[in-house]
Amino acid sequence: MASIVLTNVDKIYAGGVKAVNGLNLEIRDGEFMVLVGPSGCGKSTALRMIAGLEDISGGEISIGEKVVNHLPPKDRDIAMVFQNYALYPHMTVEENLAFGLKLRKMPKPEIQKRVGEAAKMLGLETYLKRKPAALSGGQRQRVAMGRAIVREPQAFLMDEPLSNLDAKLRVSMRASLNTLHERLGVTTVYVTHDQVEAMTLGDRVCVLRDGILQQVDTPQNLFDKPVNLFVAGFMGSPAMNFVTAELVRGDGGAAVTFADIKLSIPDSTFTDKPGLDQYVGKKIILGIRPSDFEDAGSAGNHANGWATLPVKVEVTEELGSEINVLFLIDAPPVEHKDTVAAADSGEDEEASLPLVGDKSLWTARVNARSHARSGQNLDLVVDTHNLHFFDSASGLAIGHEANR
Amino acid sequence: MTERLDGPQDPPADVAGGPSTGPAETPQRKRRLGPSPAVAIAFLLPAALLLGIWVIYPIVYSVFRSLFDATGTGFVGLGNYTTIFSDAGTLTTIRNNLIWVVVAPIVVTTIGLIFAVLTERIRWATAFKLIVFMPMAVSLMAAGVIFRLVYEESPDKGLANAVLTTVHDTFSSSQGYPEARPRGGDQSPVADQGGAVVTKQPAQAGQPVLVPIVGVKPELLPGDAQPAKAPAAGDGLSGTVWFDFTPGGGGTNNAVDGAEKGLPGMTVEAVRDGQVAATATTAEDGSFSFAGLPAGSYVVRLPASNFEAAYGGLSWLGPTLITPAIIGAFVWVWAGFAMVLIAAGLAAIPRDALEAARIDGATEWQVFRRITVPLLSPVLLVVFVTMIINTLKVFDLVFIIAPASVQPQANVVALEMWRVSFGGGNNQGLGSALAIFLLILVLPFMIMNIRRFRREDT
Repeated sequence: MASIVLTNVDKIYAGGVKAVNGLNLEIRDGEFMVLVGPSGCGKSTALRMIAGLEDISGGEISIGEKVVNHLPPKDRDIAMVFQNYALYPHMTVEENLAFGLKLRKMPKPEIQKRVGEAAKMLGLETYLKRKPAALSGGQRQRVAMGRAIVREPQAFLMDEPLSNLDAKLRVSMRASLNTLHERLGVTTVYVTHDQVEAMTLGDRVCVLRDGILQQVDTPQNLFDKPVNLFVAGFMGSPAMNFVTAELVRGDGGAAVTFADIKLSIPDSTFTDKPGLDQYVGKKIILGIRPSDFEDAGSAGNHANGWATLPVKVEVTEELGSEINVLFLIDAPPVEHKDTVAAADSGEDEEASLPLVGDKSLWTARVNARSHARSGQNLDLVVDTHNLHFFDSASGLAIGHEANR
Repeated sequence: MTERLDGPQDPPADVAGGPSTGPAETPQRKRRLGPSPAVAIAFLLPAALLLGIWVIYPIVYSVFRSLFDATGTGFVGLGNYTTIFSDAGTLTTIRNNLIWVVVAPIVVTTIGLIFAVLTERIRWATAFKLIVFMPMAVSLMAAGVIFRLVYEESPDKGLANAVLTTVHDTFSSSQGYPEARPRGGDQSPVADQGGAVVTKQPAQAGQPVLVPIVGVKPELLPGDAQPAKAPAAGDGLSGTVWFDFTPGGGGTNNAVDGAEKGLPGMTVEAVRDGQVAATATTAEDGSFSFAGLPAGSYVVRLPASNFEAAYGGLSWLGPTLITPAIIGAFVWVWAGFAMVLIAAGLAAIPRDALEAARIDGATEWQVFRRITVPLLSPVLLVVFVTMIINTLKVFDLVFIIAPASVQPQANVVALEMWRVSFGGGNNQGLGSALAIFLLILVLPFMIMNIRRFRREDT
């Protein structure tokens, strides 16, 4: 086991395309680090550079204190799990698992012991004599995992290992991956474009965009304190609602106004977000998580003091445990480059309806007891303690530690 | 099944026109799936007829004909077949075919594999592949003519020997004067001694050595040869090797005359008590001198290597090398085909599996040996079997490349079949027997290939 440190790592492809741009990242010993970002953000390239499958154009990568820039993959002591499993089709499951050990000239009994253990851990014992072609997707995925496990490497690298599985299997494999990491405690770098996977699996999550690191933090911190519009829009499902609003300070304290709505801001926000008071009287971009809404009718006492927002429900998505309420805000959609980039690639749950015209389509996640129906008028309450404010020019979160 | 299909069509009146009314027009008769046997036969007939005329009948007739003698009237049973295995000439052809089958497919497949793997990684892969594939566009006949020229004995005409002699001469200079010899007679200061030329009297320092040589072919005299100079008496042991012949007559034997040329590039040895004490090479005017030689008397010797013929390469079209030479031409023609097929197979190998192997700790060679080749094995097998069939049938290359004098040594079954039946033998009984023999040899590989294709289809 080892830590992996990337220092100013660049990857420039022929033609001058910069896939990874000055990436600095420290993956601690035993940590589960998830690299997440929309497709083409350079996350897979970064992983393949750690693996040694791509040349490093600039900077330095070290695994366990050793600079590996010029080491071939076989000398880096890492194991990789590929998206489409990359099993050796001409070998049985057993041979697939043992291949890496055989190449390392390990004694036969040791190979058998390790293969047996891994097969047991992954429930592959009955398939050892089969060829990959005779396995289902989930089984192949487990063989690919097993091939990494038997090697007992310094680090696991996983390149979207679950994306070829069906939704239900993906959820259960996600859980298995978590337990596996708990049990083995091996440093893991995991690449995915699925922010749900990133949130559930990662000890820390690294958000990349266009080869540039956006934010590295725990999943909860990414969700609660996104560093900029891109991270705010990319993490979380349904995505955060944005609107261009004006910050005003009136008689009853500070407030944000947009469309014809005015949300008052608690004073604590200004202490939490230093620098926010400088934006009073200016345009900012306001972000509200769908989960910070609640139906006024079914909200309990905890919603006391929350601001109320009367809306007309356009569409409801009933998920059983909760309802996504889609409604229109009479303000133009935020056209900041970061929100566009985040929406392009993220979960396309409510990819903008062309019907909405010059209005923003917002989502509120309310309790299933709310009985909200399409076409109804509904009073929503908003937890104003969790409002997110972004600079309308730079897209950076106002008052975030990293932006001070 | 039939009932279910018939069911909805029972009330034909409901359906007015449309494509589905076809079968419904004859609801009473027992209907089948697909066309009637008559239609089937009508469609099969042209193909069956052509196959029968061009394939089945010739095979059957060949079998029949192979049981008769040259005239076609006397039944000899399996006599022709026993002739195949008892006649020394046909046994040579069988031996040659065996060499072909063992060597050619392996070489072609290996070279094709190497080219395919290498072209995957180079920049101008397409151009390279095109060039390697080009021989396929040349007819085997033309390829034969080309290689007949390539294998020409004289380095001036044959590419193969030109390359060989050039390479050979780079490493060992062979400035030979074949058939040159010392001037004979008692007057001559030198004599022939087992191919070498030695001075009759031991030579001393300060006393020039004259080595008159005759019998140098004018075309072998180097262009840079200068007129020889009579050696001056110097300090060391020195002398002159020259062509003791004045063009147009005149001149004195055993003396250097004005028009006589020196022989450059001769190796000269100073020998004392049977040991070579010093070696020198003659200059353009034929003069030589031994530097730093201890005083004393020496025998001056021109070793026999001076009088050997220049290296002329190999006699490719001779009886010993003819089969390897023709196999070389065959490889030239087919390597491109193998390369293209294997390259296509290579492109279909999943990149990830190779990368996974690299991460698993395989070196590039191990990746190639344990992942690439096994995954390529179906393609390799197809290429290999196709090549076996091609080598068994090889005819034109042997016919064109082998000169008439070595045809018996180069002969293969297919060529022998033609020679026996039409090319002078005029024994179509034996020819048919050879044809059937060839067919039996090819058949297993054909079946193998067909099986493969069928398995891939399902």
